[in-house]
Amino acid sequence: MKNLYYVVKKCVGCKTCELACAVAHSESDDLSKALKEKRVARPLVRVYGVSGKDYPVTCRHCKDPKCVAACMAKALTRDVKTGMVLHDEDRCVGCWMCVMVCPYGAIRPNHKIKLPLRCDRCKDKDQPACVKACPTKAILWEEEPEPKK
Amino acid sequence: MKHVVIIGNSAAGIAAAESIRQIDKTSKITILSDEGYEAYCRCLLSYYLAGEVDEEKIPYRPKSFYKENNFDLLLNKKVVSVEPEKNRIVLEDKSSVGYDSLLIATGASPKFPKGVKGLQQKGVFGLRTLKDAKDIVALLSSSGSVCVLGAGLVGLRVAHALSKRKLKVTVVVKSKQVLSQMLDARAASLVQKKLESNGIEFIMGADAVEVLGGAQVKGIKLDSGKEVPCSLVIVGKGVSANMDLVKDSKVKCADGILTDKFLQSSIPGIYAAGDVCENFDLTIGKTAVNALWPIAIEQGKIAGSRIAGASEAYDGSMGMNSIEFFGLPVISLGVYDIKGASVSLEELETFDENKGMYKKLILKDGKMIGAIMVGDIRASGLLLSLIRNKVDVAPFKDKLLLEDFSYPHIAGKTNEKEQMYV
Repeated sequence: MKNLYYVVKKCVGCKTCELACAVAHSESDDLSKALKEKRVARPLVRVYGVSGKDYPVTCRHCKDPKCVAACMAKALTRDVKTGMVLHDEDRCVGCWMCVMVCPYGAIRPNHKIKLPLRCDRCKDKDQPACVKACPTKAILWEEEPEPKK
Repeated sequence: MKHVVIIGNSAAGIAAAESIRQIDKTSKITILSDEGYEAYCRCLLSYYLAGEVDEEKIPYRPKSFYKENNFDLLLNKKVVSVEPEKNRIVLEDKSSVGYDSLLIATGASPKFPKGVKGLQQKGVFGLRTLKDAKDIVALLSSSGSVCVLGAGLVGLRVAHALSKRKLKVTVVVKSKQVLSQMLDARAASLVQKKLESNGIEFIMGADAVEVLGGAQVKGIKLDSGKEVPCSLVIVGKGVSANMDLVKDSKVKCADGILTDKFLQSSIPGIYAAGDVCENFDLTIGKTAVNALWPIAIEQGKIAGSRIAGASEAYDGSMGMNSIEFFGLPVISLGVYDIKGASVSLEELETFDENKGMYKKLILKDGKMIGAIMVGDIRASGLLLSLIRNKVDVAPFKDKLLLEDFSYPHIAGKTNEKEQMYV
């Protein structure tokens, strides 16, 4: 199963990944058009500067996801086959329980549309848009390491 | 063949049944419910009441769920007693069911205060079950106004929902503030103002003494003698654990059924989980009932895996809640008020009245034990993780309230399993 990893020493905090992510999740998949869409896409990845270093943060698609357990509307589920945590917008009521329990702070509330913002690994594309966009190759799209014993 | 009996068909019961099946594919698992529905999302009832969620989205599991997992579901069966010495439970119709392991996940019921007259009449409801919600919805077209007794979580959710249905809503609150079980006075006043500016009325420091009417609710009478007309009354005075079924047994109870780190009661083979269960509370340092959906799932999982022979232990629960009214998000974690605390606690806070933004953190010996966030809830998951992992936050406590407080601030400190950085 592939996951996203970040090489902190290569990240320069340019936030190109944030922009690429938002565009990839817009309806048009085109920057100039994306800003004019009715539901303006927001980045699902965020880069935070802490103590002079830059760190991207995204959903880890945990094996024992706290957000799925806390989701009282059953909008969040974990697909055992793909290892992905999936979100069903139609079922979501925007209660923010997932925001409250994510230990990575990787789920943010989008108050405008009452839906959580959370990395979906660009599941309909061949690879996440952020990986392609990163100018310093700080974002790795790799098989998960074997769990530590 | 081993027979596991689960009393209760909601969050804790289902989580337990699933967790047993993951390990044990063959044991017979019987799930009993005193309700007439397959498992549903109980917390969606207020959204259903508001007309925001259709009934088709209420089910918690697909139709095929019970059959696929080989669960025997018995609906409309009320269990009246547990007989541990005979390893059996007795139902209302006097029939009995034997078990090898028993999980009590009977949940809780709305408290109807004894001092209020007329609560038994038609038009007075708690909101706990899908039946309650459907009964209320059926009366909406003939109701113009509602009185909600109590300003706890359920009371305010119902008030919010019914105001969306264009009813005139009056909330009668005995204490000085709303949500006194999860917020301090300042946060509560922000919530109350938000509700008031959206047309919900509050009568503070008052209690209902009588529901007026007969065949139909006409209003309520307050302890001041004042009468408030309404055609519907919702009682939101908290809930109490459904543990009548063990009252004649030796199963030890306090506010709920007391359980150990494997969610086992004082009688071996009998477990409890969810709103009926009392277990260690991580933030107050003693046992408590934390009647919350995510906690019911957690406890159900642990109890189920233990019943199936696993040895994962439960470190305890804590109070936590997320609510949003008219666009104002509010989260409360653990200890929310230091009033009356016997040991010295430290408070950190930021408050911007104009923005409706308020954050407060409570620390004990350099570790977080609680938080309130109003308006900006983005960092709540990180704070919860710091509380649950008992992290010494003293070295970076000046960062906790920053607007961009984020995972990198705490990476490596919270014992999370998933790797992010290389």
